[in-house]
Amino acid sequence: MSKQDGIATAAEDSDVDPILRIRDLTVRFEMDRGTSRVLNGVDLDIRRNEIIGIVGESGSGKSMLASALLDAVVAPGITDGEITYHPPTDEPIDVLDLSEEARRQFRWEEISMVFQGALSSFNPTMDIRGHFEETLEAHGYPIGPGIDRAAELLNDLYLDPDRVLESYPHELSGGMKQRALIALALVLEPEVLVMDEPTAALDLLMQRSIVSLLADIRDKHDLTMVFITHDLPLVTKLADRIGVLYAFEFVEVGETEAILRDPAHPYTRALLNATPNLDAPLEEMRPIDGSAPDPVNVPSGCAYHSRCPLATDDCEREQPRMESVTGSHDVACHHWTEVDEIPLTNEVDR
Amino acid sequence: MRRYYFERTAQLVFTVLAVMTLTFFLVRLLPGGPADALRANLIRNNPEMTADQIDRRVEAQLNIMPDDPLHVQYLTYITELLQGDMGQSLSQGAPVTDVIASAAPWTIFTVGTAVAIAFVIGISMGALMAYREGSRFDSGATITSVLLNSVPDYIYGIIFLWILGYQLDIFPTGGRYSSSTEPTINLLTPIQTLAFVGDVLWHAALLISAIVLVAWGGWALGMRGNSVQVLGEDYLRVARLRGLPQRHIAFRYVGRNAVLPMYTSMLITIGFLLGGSIILEQVFSYPGMGYYMIEALERRDYPLMMGVFLVITITVAIGVYVADLTYGLIDPRARVDGGGSS
Ligand code: SF4
Repeated sequence: MSKQDGIATAAEDSDVDPILRIRDLTVRFEMDRGTSRVLNGVDLDIRRNEIIGIVGESGSGKSMLASALLDAVVAPGITDGEITYHPPTDEPIDVLDLSEEARRQFRWEEISMVFQGALSSFNPTMDIRGHFEETLEAHGYPIGPGIDRAAELLNDLYLDPDRVLESYPHELSGGMKQRALIALALVLEPEVLVMDEPTAALDLLMQRSIVSLLADIRDKHDLTMVFITHDLPLVTKLADRIGVLYAFEFVEVGETEAILRDPAHPYTRALLNATPNLDAPLEEMRPIDGSAPDPVNVPSGCAYHSRCPLATDDCEREQPRMESVTGSHDVACHHWTEVDEIPLTNEVDR
Repeated sequence: MRRYYFERTAQLVFTVLAVMTLTFFLVRLLPGGPADALRANLIRNNPEMTADQIDRRVEAQLNIMPDDPLHVQYLTYITELLQGDMGQSLSQGAPVTDVIASAAPWTIFTVGTAVAIAFVIGISMGALMAYREGSRFDSGATITSVLLNSVPDYIYGIIFLWILGYQLDIFPTGGRYSSSTEPTINLLTPIQTLAFVGDVLWHAALLISAIVLVAWGGWALGMRGNSVQVLGEDYLRVARLRGLPQRHIAFRYVGRNAVLPMYTSMLITIGFLLGGSIILEQVFSYPGMGYYMIEALERRDYPLMMGVFLVITITVAIGVYVADLTYGLIDPRARVDGGGSS
């Protein structure tokens, strides 16, 4: 149901130039107690050169979305649906239908990724230069110019290239490792950089400073960035658009400005209200009442109904479809027109 | 860093001195211990000897002078030890140093070969088991290695010896090499050298196999555990996503990072080499360190016993020392100086 609407809405945005077109993307795990759908028929267009923030609680399916973009969902997870990648010049590529070798090349050369476990993403017994060299070599890129590029990237990220390249992972601080990892992700000049909670393990100051670097990197390298996080305040500082995931589906997608000023989904409002102010550390957030749904047993109708103050009988029976609020601002809620009944308690400020 | 080396070295010196001191007191002071036993023995066998002569004999054999004050005895004993004089072996009728010097290469050869083979088999099997974690191969190999590992090596030795030595007569039942073979290690006479080496291997084969059969399982289980852990690390997932070739990941990531933590136990094992397989050498009548240890025990040859004991403990201490000093060179994580802090 929501699928058809998703396509209709996406079709309206025909003037945008998507680099990634995601349709009906589902990730499931077959388990003894039933099928666990950790991503449930998701549609999304990611525009060329934008920074899109994907926000959700832990267990909302956001990490699965990150992995699925590289067709890297870990076994025994099964990825269904369609992800079409539109390179700048060549023909579109069906990401979920690549041969093993083509997929190996596709990853890192076209779409690359910075992981949640960023601080342990380096081989502890290899120096940082070794990581760059082996990556270049595995993809048949010349080592010399590749290392020069790595040095330039490290420099752009305010690291001393010579020192960092000669260091072993344990000799670098968390923030340095994180930035070295971003440089490693960009060394093959990919078009898209997916970041899954890239700053979660860092202190507040380091988080903010890395986020501000990312915008510069995007401009300099014509990147498209997908920034996945549970930290809505953090991503508003960076993203052009924001998609809010709840219970393995998008409930609201729109320009950051629209999401902040006129959030149309009760859950988005709850997320915004949970933060005392947008500069406060996440730890000071008031938790939202209720808990995230179980992927094996998603509630019928709107998955949010048990936590939603606007819920009616309709909400329990029928799943809301994606509707357009304004141009490119979409929401999936039966009662979004009445959402102002949930007042925004915070000053919104970017 | 320098401080670390200094501490390790001091520790080694202290250990060696402690072991020497221990043997001194064991030999000298235990009532009814070696000195008394030796003196009684000498008196019984040589009724014509004067007490003075007997004392001199005791001194020659145990490196002690019973009538000197204790601290003088102690200093004499340590000094002579440091000069390589470990006294006279009663049972072998030769200086202990000579007996050990002739036995040690054989034990180093057999146990060294066995440990090397067991290590290679063990880490290959362990890595394979980890890659196929949970498969039937994995559980089968785990059970096999635990079973083989839980039986003492001399049991295998006895079985091998009985079947392949006595029943089938395929392998010799004792000795270092055939009496008909001239020991030849000479590049100018390659045929004789090869024949000799072949003969030596033939004599040691069952003994080596018995050790390998027990030892590989331990390495395999250790390697399996380490590899499973490395395979689950974040950096391994990232390495795969970066499109690194499987082979590269298997050797440079899984293999290396799983073997590194075993380096120390590997060196300590090498340290234990000289202790050899005490009972096993006895089973195969293979005159190595362990063989002489038992000989010495049976014939109450205290100087030889103490000599073997000293050499074994000191070698283990040196093995640990070398492991401590070199671990930082092979594993960057263990480097104490950490060049990264600014
Ligand atoms: S559909 Fe109903 S329950 Fe779901 S968010 Fe909207 S008002 Fe709340």
